[in-house]
Amino acid sequence: MELAACPECDLLLNPHQAAVGENAHCPRCGYLLQRPSKQSIERTLALSIAGLLLMLPANLLPLVGIKVLGTSHDGTLWSGVFTLFSEGMWAVAVLVFLSSMLFPLLNIVLSLLVSFYLHFNKPNKYLSHWMRWLQHLKEWAMLEVYMLGIIVACVKLTSMSEVKFGLGLYAFIALIVVSGMLASHLDGYLFWRHIRRLNNKL
Amino acid sequence: MKTNANALSRGLVRCHDCGHLSKVNTPHCPVCNGHLHPRKPKSLQRTAALLLSSYALYLPANVFPIMTVTRLGSGEPHTIIGGIFALIDSGMMPIALLVLVASILVPMVKLLGLSLLVFSVYFNWPINARLATVVYRIIAFVGRWSMLDIFMITILVSLVNLGGVAQVIAGPAATAFACVVVLTMFAATSFDPRLIWDNPNAYE
Repeated sequence: MELAACPECDLLLNPHQAAVGENAHCPRCGYLLQRPSKQSIERTLALSIAGLLLMLPANLLPLVGIKVLGTSHDGTLWSGVFTLFSEGMWAVAVLVFLSSMLFPLLNIVLSLLVSFYLHFNKPNKYLSHWMRWLQHLKEWAMLEVYMLGIIVACVKLTSMSEVKFGLGLYAFIALIVVSGMLASHLDGYLFWRHIRRLNNKL
Repeated sequence: MKTNANALSRGLVRCHDCGHLSKVNTPHCPVCNGHLHPRKPKSLQRTAALLLSSYALYLPANVFPIMTVTRLGSGEPHTIIGGIFALIDSGMMPIALLVLVASILVPMVKLLGLSLLVFSVYFNWPINARLATVVYRIIAFVGRWSMLDIFMITILVSLVNLGGVAQVIAGPAATAFACVVVLTMFAATSFDPRLIWDNPNAYE
């Protein structure tokens, strides 16, 4: 039987495969070791395809718009980044671009790639690289924080103008839901076990 | 069966990425080919350096205006705290509270909490290791929510762009604040919580 260790307190553990619906916690520090999900690979694959499809309208269609003195103004994810950049705030613009556009996209693309190869049982020498990038990228994709930013901005704007929600906002909210489900269905423990098995076939 | 030993004390090193255990002094993980270290390399030094930079930037982030709102030609600069007071004045208490937590409390708690963790490890303070790990977990989790203010400004800047009538321009504090958020996130990831458990004076 192979041993495992807790990533946060280094306690040596005898791993047992947690059942679906059961959460495996470290007995010493309480770290959530594994939360298995039913058909983790298949659901990850399906959710990443859904996320990829939603990415386009969420990025290109207007999220919110305002109407002042008869003229209306729409804002997309991209226009925010662009305006910041043209005002000379390039550092903030780059950060917003990465955390609201590029990293969420990469997150979904990498989930798609990994779950695709695992589902069809195909070995690939880049599988462990993709999985590693995916784990490091996760916390830098901040769509849900952006959503909260939209809400606060709208509250601030209601005092000076009329605010209307665009079609892109619905795609954006759907994308947040899909990303959240993706995070909870992707069972890293199971994925690494399969990657290991496939890497032996290389 | 429950063991009660650290993996490292049994001569085993856990891969940071895939979790596979290898013998000490194995340079690369046999499963994912990642670099192996018993603990994150130079964890305390890196965390301390990142924290110091964040402290230095925390001041300009709160002193300088984060955005300037121009209405009919007259500009009105807002600091982070000023923006919260503006929300309270317009009767938006819950939103004001939300911004207060995300932009003032979270960065402060992160900076102080991580500093305490670094000190406790460096000076081997007798602390409750389980509690300290929970504190670390909370700090690592809440960090990204401080980006709220930056995203809000991004939206305002792109929407309120009506020339002389009304315009919002991002201020110098936005860059400083964004740096604080990014640096504290890096500080949290460079801190190795296993060091808390390596402290001989810590108790469970």
